[in-house]
Order: sequence, then structure tokens, then C-alpha cells
Amino acid sequence: MSGNGDGNKMRIKNLTMFYGDFMALEDISLDFASRRITALIGPSGCGKSTLVRCLNRMNDLIEGSRVEGEIILDGENILGAGYDVISLRRRVGMVFQRPNPFPKSIYDNVAYGPRLVGMKDNEKLDFIVEDSLKKAALWDEVKKILKRSGQSLSGGQQQRLCIARVIAVQPEVILFDEPCSAIDPISTQKIEDLMAELKKNYTMVIVTHNMQQAARVSDHTAFMLVEEQGQPGRIVEFGDTNTMFTNPTDKRTENYITGRFG
Amino acid sequence: MAREKPVRMLLMTCASLSFLAILLIFLFIFKESIPAITRIGIPNLFSAAWNPDKGQFGMLAFLVGTLLSTAGGLLIGAPLGIGTAVFLDQVAPARMGNLIRRGVELLAGIPSVVIGWFGLIILVPFIAGITNSAGYGIAAASIVLAVMVLPTITALAAETLGSLPPELKEASVAMGATRWQTIRKVLLPAGREGILVAVVLGMGRAIGETMAVQMVVGNSSQFTLNPFQPTGTLTSNLVTNMGEAVGNFRAALFAQALVLLILSMVLILCIRLITRRKEG
Amino acid sequence: MDPRKADRIATAAFWIVGVIALGILAFIVIEIFARGLIAAVNPSFFAGKPQALKEGGGVGPMVVSTLYLVALTMLISLPVSVGAAIYLAEFAREGRFTRFIRFCLDSLGTVPSIVFAIFGMTMFLFYLNWRTCLLAGAITMALLNLPVFLRSAEEALRQVPRTYREASMSLGATRWTTVKKVVLPSAMPGIITGTILPLGRIMGESAVVIFTVGVFVRAVPLSPFDPAAPLAGYIWYVQSEAIVPDYRSIVNGGAAILLILLFAINFGTRRLAAYYSKRKSLGG
Repeated sequence: MSGNGDGNKMRIKNLTMFYGDFMALEDISLDFASRRITALIGPSGCGKSTLVRCLNRMNDLIEGSRVEGEIILDGENILGAGYDVISLRRRVGMVFQRPNPFPKSIYDNVAYGPRLVGMKDNEKLDFIVEDSLKKAALWDEVKKILKRSGQSLSGGQQQRLCIARVIAVQPEVILFDEPCSAIDPISTQKIEDLMAELKKNYTMVIVTHNMQQAARVSDHTAFMLVEEQGQPGRIVEFGDTNTMFTNPTDKRTENYITGRFG
Repeated sequence: MAREKPVRMLLMTCASLSFLAILLIFLFIFKESIPAITRIGIPNLFSAAWNPDKGQFGMLAFLVGTLLSTAGGLLIGAPLGIGTAVFLDQVAPARMGNLIRRGVELLAGIPSVVIGWFGLIILVPFIAGITNSAGYGIAAASIVLAVMVLPTITALAAETLGSLPPELKEASVAMGATRWQTIRKVLLPAGREGILVAVVLGMGRAIGETMAVQMVVGNSSQFTLNPFQPTGTLTSNLVTNMGEAVGNFRAALFAQALVLLILSMVLILCIRLITRRKEG
Repeated sequence: MDPRKADRIATAAFWIVGVIALGILAFIVIEIFARGLIAAVNPSFFAGKPQALKEGGGVGPMVVSTLYLVALTMLISLPVSVGAAIYLAEFAREGRFTRFIRFCLDSLGTVPSIVFAIFGMTMFLFYLNWRTCLLAGAITMALLNLPVFLRSAEEALRQVPRTYREASMSLGATRWTTVKKVVLPSAMPGIITGTILPLGRIMGESAVVIFTVGVFVRAVPLSPFDPAAPLAGYIWYVQSEAIVPDYRSIVNGGAAILLILLFAINFGTRRLAAYYSKRKSLGG
């Protein structure tokens, strides 16, 4: 699965991104190790969400956004001309900040992805739905209410439903954009446990403003910063999570993780 | 606080005018159509024969004309309006979207006599040419109505789509759905109620549209299902005859106005049902 | 079908639909101007005296009637609609009464204009024994426009941040003072743009005009109790019943004048709204 032949599933090389004339990210280079969790941390507005949205090209939706540089997934540049964005997004799934189940039944939410590629076989769909919900540690709570609306669940359950929905597509990479910022501590705990479990099969990237969370769940951490307002976001430091939290090399990283700003 | 009371009462009176207006409209129209029910009788009123000189006051031809032209107008106008709404909200580049938004607003403001006039001098001869008929009738009325309901449906459907949480679209796109899959499987179902309300309000506009329809429908009292044959609608019949009618004739026209009024009330109830289901 | 192919087809279809919608509008606007612009800008037409039998008549009194009716209706409509909107947005507590009022407004909003027209005729001509006149039309039209106008005004009021109200009331201002001094000025641009739709409707409405105001006059109406002949109604009358031989060019010219007025309303109200919001942000 380590597609780049060096243990890295995805690599960002010299990525610079613009919204219109505004440079949002400058010269970002990062590697995402296969079947590991990489955390992106930094104060709000530092561009960490923007960066993670480059990895499945969600920024394409914003008129006037453009990127320079390369993002390599299994040896192939996903920013290259004519690259198939649709299949990219099936390989690189995403869980959002606010749980966003569709106004459909729990079952239909999970079956959404498989149905997109034309799967109609009900037996297969049943299996995928059950399997995905189990992997997302939600099955026991919802197995009797699969027909109920996904939006009737609690916030934490909704977020796990969204994770199940992503798993049902069998992606290779899962991006988490501050997945716990809108839910309670107990649900947060469940989702962190779930991430540790999912690490066996998936490469994951998590954006978080919660340093403890980054320290708890991730293997590698990148610290991002916007030096002054109006400047682009840049990577300050990137490395092994333990090292970074115990012995940061950059003064600014140390200031941030010890809570001196941000 | 004491000084506020008169102001409050005055403002409340303004708001209550809506009730007074609808009440008065109902009372007047109803009162004037009582003779139609007592002297002409329901069977005569709803028969297919309209010949006021001979005491025949059947509105069936007009009722069918109204329903058919409304159905025809919606059949063309609703897909066009919903499609335009989706286009300007989801597909078009921002500038193009704004251009269409402005354009649709402008179209809503073009007087119906003007649209009717173009129906009369362009559309009717065109239909006459390709169908070997006089050109007047339900077909012409339907096309004119489609143009008239387009702004209503587009504006309301676009408003509905625009008010959907952006998270829905993001979630779908992030799953690898194409734009069309996102529109069809997520956005349209999520906005179903609002779009339905848009269509129902468009229907209201079509049922009540008078001048434009009157100019192209042919104004005959003939009962017909042939879309290329001159016929009439409730509204066209009212505007054509109300000026001169007296006695039973006038009462029969008021009865038709009452039917129009009831039709529009039914639509309001439909909208209530749709929105209540959404909330429930 | 392959989802990507379906997406391409759907995208093409949406573009076609969008272009058709825009095309319909462009077609109508271009046709109106191509047929009527020359007549419309000719003073002997737009300011000229109408003819009942001969050709070469103008529409001067009709243009005046239109403007007169628009002004008179707004004079009635504006205070009533904004007043009702203020009541609903600022004073009333959501409850049975407001729900009922909203139901009445919704109902009023779907009543066809021809029914309003017949109602106006019954009330003013039959019961009050007026003759057709501007005031009868204006009152009828004010009722016709109440729901639309009220909704946009209420929307504008609700968009004023709640903190403005709280700030004012915490300083001891009454609710009405707050509305007058803080809320209304802030909502003004929204209320002004909200007049575009009602203005257009009053100008273009013909059913109400035919039954309550009149379809032909020779002289410019002066008093609100004078009969008048606003353009939209006159256009209908000319094409359907008049016997002047040049009715086609009168209708085409009249349509072009109406369209020019519509553009002017759109442009004027937007400018006025922009002026107000600029003045507000400058603190004037």
C-alpha cells in the first residue's frame, strides 16, 4: 500500500495556493506516511483546513482558487492536467468539521457512496452498510433504526455515521477536518479510539486545533503558522509527534504548544 | 410606555388590513354570486353549455381551459424554471449566475399585456403556420403561461437551493459524486419541499393570469380538449364579459370568480400541507 | 450509464436551459425595443393627445395616468405595508394572531389580480357609487401589493442586527423610538429595493386598471377622483377594442415606454438604496 515506494502514501511538493490574488499557502512540502496518522496543527486561520482540502481537491469548488506544485498519491500527481478528480475523492475520503449526514435514512447515508458507482444489488449493499457501520463502531447503536433519518442521531453519532459513510467507499486515505470540534468529549473519545483502530487499514490526516488530541492520536505532526495577517500559511515544523511535543526544534512551535499564543 | 400604545394599535391595524381585505373579497364575491346559485343552479353553472342569451351559464369549458392551460404552462415552465434555478445556483459561473438572476427579476416585471401582445403577434401566427389552425387556444396559452411562471418558479427554487447548508454539497462531492449526482441525489431531494412550493405558487400565478391568456386563448366558449382550438379560461371569460354583464349573466361571472378564489385557497392549503410535513 | 458521461450530459443540459431562460428575456426585450423604441421616444407620441378614431394618436395622458397611479398607490401602500411589517417584525409576539395574519397574507398573495379587479369594481363602483378613478385603482392595487411589499419590508427589518435594538433599548429608548431612530434607518436600503417588485406590478397591472380606473381618457387626469387610463390597460384596450387603424404601432410604442419605465424603476431604486446605505455607513 505504500505507493511511493518509500513508506509514504501521499507527498506534497512545493505547494502554493491562491484564492484569486490572495496567496493562502506558500511552498508547502509534507509527506504522509502510509497507515499512519498525521496531524496538522496551528492557530485558527493558519491554512490547515485549506491544506487538507487540497488533498482531495475540495478547493476546486471555490471559484478563483488555483494551486502550484505537486501532490503525489501513489506516484501520480493529483494536480496534473486531466487527473480524474472523481476517482481521487473516492480514494481520499473526508470527514468534516460539522457532522453532515444527508437528510436521508441512516442506511441510505452509508449506501450513498456505493450507489454512486451504480451498485444496486441489495444483498451487497446490506453487507457494506453493516460492515461500514461496524467499523465505525456505530452498528450496535443503530442496527434497529436503519430507516430513521441520519439527522435524528446525536452529534457524536452523526459524526461516526459520516465516518461509516466514508468507509463504505473503501478509500485509501481519510482526511479529518477538525472532526471533534463540534461534538462532546465522550463522543470525541469514541472517535479517537476509532481512529486508532482504523489506522490498521487507512492512511489518515487530521486537522485539529486541539494539541492534546494531536498528541494522543497522531504519529507525525506538522505545525503551521501565518506569520502576519495577510501572509500565506507556511509549515514551521514537521516531524515525529513525540519529538515535536517533547523537544520542538523551532522556537515558534515551542511557544505554540506551551500555550504562549494562538 | 404609555405613548407606545397608540402607535402599537396603529401598526396592528395595518397588519390586520390583510384579514379585512381577504374577508371583504370573499364576502363581496360570495354575496354577488348567491343569485347564481339560487336562480341559475349548480347543475347549470357547471355544465358545458355557455350561452348567456339562452340562459345557459355552464363554466365547464372555462374551468377545463384554466386547468389545461395551467397544466401546460407548468409542464413547460416548471422544468425550465427548476433547471434555471439549478443552473444559476450550481452550474453557472458566478457572473453568469448573477446575470440570469437579474434577468429573471426583470422578466417578472414585464407587464402581462406585453407578453400577451407578443403571444398574439408572434406565437399565434407561428402556431397557426405549423398546425394549420387559427393558432389560438390552449397551446398558445400554455406557452405564454410558461414564460409567466418561469420567474416565479426560478426565483423561489433558487432561493430554496441557496438556503441548503453547503455541508450537504461538500459531503457529497467529497464522496466522489459528480455534480449531477450531487444535484440529483442530494440537493434536489433536500430542497424538495421548497421546490414543490415554488411550483405550487407558479400554478397559482398561472391559474390567475388574465390578460396574457385572454389575448391568445381565442375567447370562445367552446368546450374542447384540442390544444389548437380557440377556447376560454375563467380569467379570460371574466375580463371579456364582466364589463357589460347584468343580472344572471353577471351573477354567473361572479360565481366563476368565486371558483377562482376557491382554487387559489386550495393552493394555499396545499402549501401549508407541504411545509407542515417538512417541519414534522 | 457512466456517472462522468451523465454529468457531462447534465451539465450541457443545464447550460441549454440557462441559455433558453436568458434567451426568452433577451428575445422579449429586443422585440419590444425593435418594434417600439422609435415611437416611444417621439414626443408627439409619448406626450401627444390620444385619438379615438383616427390614426396618429399619442399616449401622453396615459403615461401621466401610469405615473399618477404608481405614485398614489405607493402613497397608500408604503405606510400600510411598512407599518404592518414593523408590527410583525418588531412588536408582535409569534403566536396565534401573527400566524393568522400570515395565513391571511399568504391567501391574499395568491388571489388572482382579476379577482382583486372585480372586488374593486364591486366595492367602489357598485357599493360606493364612484365612477372609475385613480383612487379606486390605487386602493385596490395597494391591497394587491400588500403581501409582497410587506414580506420584503419585513425581511429588511429582520436583517437589522439584534444588537442594534438591544443597544438602543438598554439606553432607555422605547421600542417605537428604537424602531424609528435605529431599525428603520438601517433597514431603509432593503425597504427601498423591496419596492422594485411592487412598483413594477402596479405599472404593469392591467386587469385592476380596466375595471377600476378606466381604459381611455383624452385629458390628463388631475384629481385622484378623475378617471384615467394607465398605459398597461390602454394597451390592452387598444389591441382588443379600439378602432384606430394604427393600433399596432400604439401598442408597440406603449410596450417600449413601459419597458423604459421598468428599467428606470430598477435603476432608480437601486441607486437610491445604494445612496442610503452609503449615507448610513458615513454616519449621516
